[in-house]
Amino acid sequence: MSHRRIKRNKKTIGHYLKIYFLLFFVSLAIFAVGSFFKPQFNCANSLTCKSDLSVSVDNDAIGIFQGRKVLPPKVDLAQALTQSSILGVRVSNEEKHIYIDLSTQTIYAYEGKTQIMKTLISSGKWSRTPVGNFNIWQKLPVTRMAGGQGADAYNLPNVQWVMYFYRDFGTHAAYWHNNFGHEMSHGCVNMRLIDAKELYAWADGPTGKNLGTAVSTCDQFKEPGTCIQKNPIN
Amino acid sequence: MTTLRQIELESIFLISIVAAASLFFVIQRNNQGQFNAPSMRIASLSLPLATPAPEQNVFSQISPDGTKKVVMKVMQGSDNTKTYDFSTVDGNDANEQRVFTKTFDSSSSMVIPFNTWSPDNKYFFIHKNTGDNKSVFAFKASGVAFSQAEEYFDVTDLFRKKETGYNFSEATGWASESLIIVNTTKDDSSKGPSYWFEIPSKAVIQLSTEF
Repeated sequence: MSHRRIKRNKKTIGHYLKIYFLLFFVSLAIFAVGSFFKPQFNCANSLTCKSDLSVSVDNDAIGIFQGRKVLPPKVDLAQALTQSSILGVRVSNEEKHIYIDLSTQTIYAYEGKTQIMKTLISSGKWSRTPVGNFNIWQKLPVTRMAGGQGADAYNLPNVQWVMYFYRDFGTHAAYWHNNFGHEMSHGCVNMRLIDAKELYAWADGPTGKNLGTAVSTCDQFKEPGTCIQKNPIN
Repeated sequence: MTTLRQIELESIFLISIVAAASLFFVIQRNNQGQFNAPSMRIASLSLPLATPAPEQNVFSQISPDGTKKVVMKVMQGSDNTKTYDFSTVDGNDANEQRVFTKTFDSSSSMVIPFNTWSPDNKYFFIHKNTGDNKSVFAFKASGVAFSQAEEYFDVTDLFRKKETGYNFSEATGWASESLIIVNTTKDDSSKGPSYWFEIPSKAVIQLSTEF
């Protein structure tokens, strides 16, 4: 008995340090592996998100979507720039917030608790729309979006009224389909031209230290403050 | 039990506890929001379909670019019938173009869906509901018939005649300028594949993606 007690007392600080270091690395490894398996969102438009996110007009180009040619709308760049402003119109002094309900494919715009807009959208089908809480970080009156591979490749000039809220995931007009209320995008939030233009005119981009209008993508949404997010990325 | 073995067990025990705690935190972090979100039931949304209401008799649906409208006028007949009159106009209500007129008894109704317009505004489709039966009619926006024999395409009937082995369920909208997206059901009422119905060729193309 006394022999065992003597042996136990021989455990040194070094022994405990070894264990603590081992524990530290085990927990670090588990976090690293766990984060690796978390859904990753890189780009909505795999080509243009790497090349450029800037104003672009090409009135002579033909668009491609789902292997079919699409005729883009002619865009007057000067007029589009005139109609584009970083700050949007304001109905009240309350905070602006855009909510996107992925379950009902509906977008809502609020100032405080006052609903400014509600309409159908098309969110990600071929790639998921990220769920989370963001702010508009860039507004572009018109740009090009391209991505996908093989039969799924698309190249769409003159995409209007774009508002990016997370990387190149954003809301914008979609002229190549009219299937709103159903998933139909590569991760962005497609809207009718008339709706996208109205939302663009209302929402704010970032200015100085002020963030752009808040955007929440929800698995389910009922009213401001009840945005259910099962697996948000932030 | 030797001292060495005691130390090993102690270390394994500690490592297991820390590993379990780490796993718990990483899972919780990955599912952040799931535990804090209040449970609720989504209220039924009133989608912007141009559904007839008794006190109104004119309905319209604007095209996605705002330049055209489909207008449906519903006139109540004295013999318990309703006459549906469809026309297209510009976004500012100018240039009315008569397209289609049909009279039904009260068991049938017609509605203009939200996604009625083709993306290039050349075509539009409408729904006819008779009890549980749904029909989809596609028209040229110009009001010109597809051919001498066909003023419009009965998409539901044409799809049925293709004998795909699936039942027409709904037309949700347009995948492109000439493709109506058709969803189907199997005989056991489960979901079938989706199709494109092409206008004006009437071709039916099965999709690998379900809409």
